[in-house]
Amino acid sequence: MSISPEWLTDDRDSAELARMLAPSSSSTLESLAAESKAITLRRFGRTISLYAPLYLSNHCSSGCAYCGFASDRNTLRRRLEPEEIGREILAMKKIGISDILLLTGERTKLADFDYLRRSVEIAAKSMQRVSVEAFPMSVSEYRMLAECGCTGVTIYQETYNRERYESLHRWGPKKDFLDRLETPARALEGGIKTVGLGVLLGLSEPLEDALMLYRHVRHLARRYWRAGISVSFPRIRPQTGGYEPPFPVDDHFLARMIFSFRITLPDIELVLSTRESGTFRDGMAGLAITRMSIASRTTVGGYHDPENNEKGQFDVSDNRSAEEFCNTLRSRNIEPVFKNWDPAYNGPAYGKNTEIHPEKLKPCH
Amino acid sequence: MITIELNGEQQVLSGDASVNDLLSIIGSDGKTVAVMVNEHIIRPENRSATLLQEGDRVEILVFAGGG
Amino acid sequence: MDFLQLGSYSFSSRLILGTGKFSNAKVMLEAVRASGAQLVTVALRRFNRQQAEDDLFAPLSTIEGITLMPNTSGASTAAEAVRAAHIARELSGSPFIKVEIHPNPQHLMPDPIETYEACRILAKEGFLVMPYITADPVLAKRLEDAGCASVMPLGSAIGSGQGLAAAEMLSIIIRESNIPVIVDAGLRSPSEAAAALEMGCGAVLVNSAVAVAGNPPEMAEAFAGAVVAGRKAFRAGLMQKSGSALATSPLTSFLEAKA
Repeated sequence: MSISPEWLTDDRDSAELARMLAPSSSSTLESLAAESKAITLRRFGRTISLYAPLYLSNHCSSGCAYCGFASDRNTLRRRLEPEEIGREILAMKKIGISDILLLTGERTKLADFDYLRRSVEIAAKSMQRVSVEAFPMSVSEYRMLAECGCTGVTIYQETYNRERYESLHRWGPKKDFLDRLETPARALEGGIKTVGLGVLLGLSEPLEDALMLYRHVRHLARRYWRAGISVSFPRIRPQTGGYEPPFPVDDHFLARMIFSFRITLPDIELVLSTRESGTFRDGMAGLAITRMSIASRTTVGGYHDPENNEKGQFDVSDNRSAEEFCNTLRSRNIEPVFKNWDPAYNGPAYGKNTEIHPEKLKPCH
Repeated sequence: MITIELNGEQQVLSGDASVNDLLSIIGSDGKTVAVMVNEHIIRPENRSATLLQEGDRVEILVFAGGG
Repeated sequence: MDFLQLGSYSFSSRLILGTGKFSNAKVMLEAVRASGAQLVTVALRRFNRQQAEDDLFAPLSTIEGITLMPNTSGASTAAEAVRAAHIARELSGSPFIKVEIHPNPQHLMPDPIETYEACRILAKEGFLVMPYITADPVLAKRLEDAGCASVMPLGSAIGSGQGLAAAEMLSIIIRESNIPVIVDAGLRSPSEAAAALEMGCGAVLVNSAVAVAGNPPEMAEAFAGAVVAGRKAFRAGLMQKSGSALATSPLTSFLEAKA
């Protein structure tokens, strides 16, 4: 078994974070919140950027113990065809969304790279920003995605505890811990502009995972210094299949972790999804969180036909409509932002070696 | 006799002078200097064999104090 | 042990000494010995029989454990710097080269474009390139990508004694760098050198502050002690400065209100 990289195990850089998260920490939650708020305000102002997820397919070849879409679960499997994708996107645009996250499971025959790429092309026609949360790909596959207008890749390590990781990912391509660890670097090498990292809180001892997640961020920031990096805080919620998280994380710890990340990573986008309750999301907006999903559906599709009764990947906790959520933000003196930059800037960023190849700037067919 | 440019100034030498001869003339033992003739570095082992010609531009450099 | 790693060289001393501006070579050599420095910078000058004592190569070779780091001072273009590097390597046999290109003799600020170009070429030729730059975080990453062994951002202008005027930029460079960051120029006192090491830089280069001190060898020794202290403090984990004041009304009360 090959060794974990040094940047993952070296604890010197993460010492400050460790102090803030330690049970014996002298920093009160309130003082961390105040410092986090001040930093967020200085760096990001009074804005939150908003996006919505679109599940393209729930086909999956992996057997992740904690996921409602694991291949051994009894779920109706389907994927969206191009016309359906178009309809979903139209429905999302109607409610104001212009920043989309496309999701699939692990690579399958029905939802493979070509399917994903075609979906990105469709989305990029009318969405300002297109990210994907899908299976790990090669550098050249990421470059092709970037050329088609994909600007972000989200890929959670789930847990950085190697033993726990290997016991949770029982079969399929996701079983390879080191390959998954290197995936964000491959995406950046391929010219994807931003990557999203995270651990699924509840799977392993959270303090350890928090420290290793921090080190992953720092490692990528130093190696891919032009990259945008975001960190999400997904916490295991009840789902069909009933996985009980062995290390449940309570609201207080989650808040402490988010504040501490803001303080020790002042320039990183911090993301909260609709896994969390409205109360928690409202509270954290303005204190640390700078990006949130809204009006989410975790079923395949679901925006065009919201009445469908399929089971989603996880149960959404904050069910507010886009309009309701935005009004709440505004009442808290926070401006919701739907568009960050012009899609004319979409296309591969430089990888580590900066050489301009004009012929590679051709538009995607 | 030939005239060369040494460190920016005119220097007269006998016509068959080698680089090593020049170093003796100016009082250098050759051990702590770098020698350039017309932009080419002349290594210590080649200095006896390298003969100077009329108009050659020679630079003889040492390490001096600097930050 | 905690070494400064430059290429395949490991140095235990994090104090690099410059050899310029000393009243005479004898004092300079004493200062070098007193500093414990293992890397010493020198410049290239034309041989002058009248000033044979300016030739430092032989005297410096008598000090054990010294590696020479010639600089390209005098060059104002990349081409001149590359030529100087070749000459310097020929003479010293050392792979180290401090790329120092300052076309303006008043403020001696480094030219980033010529510097980048020279470094790109020299790194490919196998030199251990140490570029002298302003504290520009993006330029530092560009130079790292180009293959430099370190970056040497200035604390403040050469000889100005303004200390760590560029502290904020230096801390960004240090945080983001994968190669050693060596704070060069402008340091006036040992406490400033300690502060630079406390920030996490890899080493400091000091010249004027030692050369023009009342007693250069003693000052060199003081700098050496400060550098050791600063590095130790950095490794020991400094106490954080306190954060902002508490808000007037509690920010986290929403955590008690269960949905």
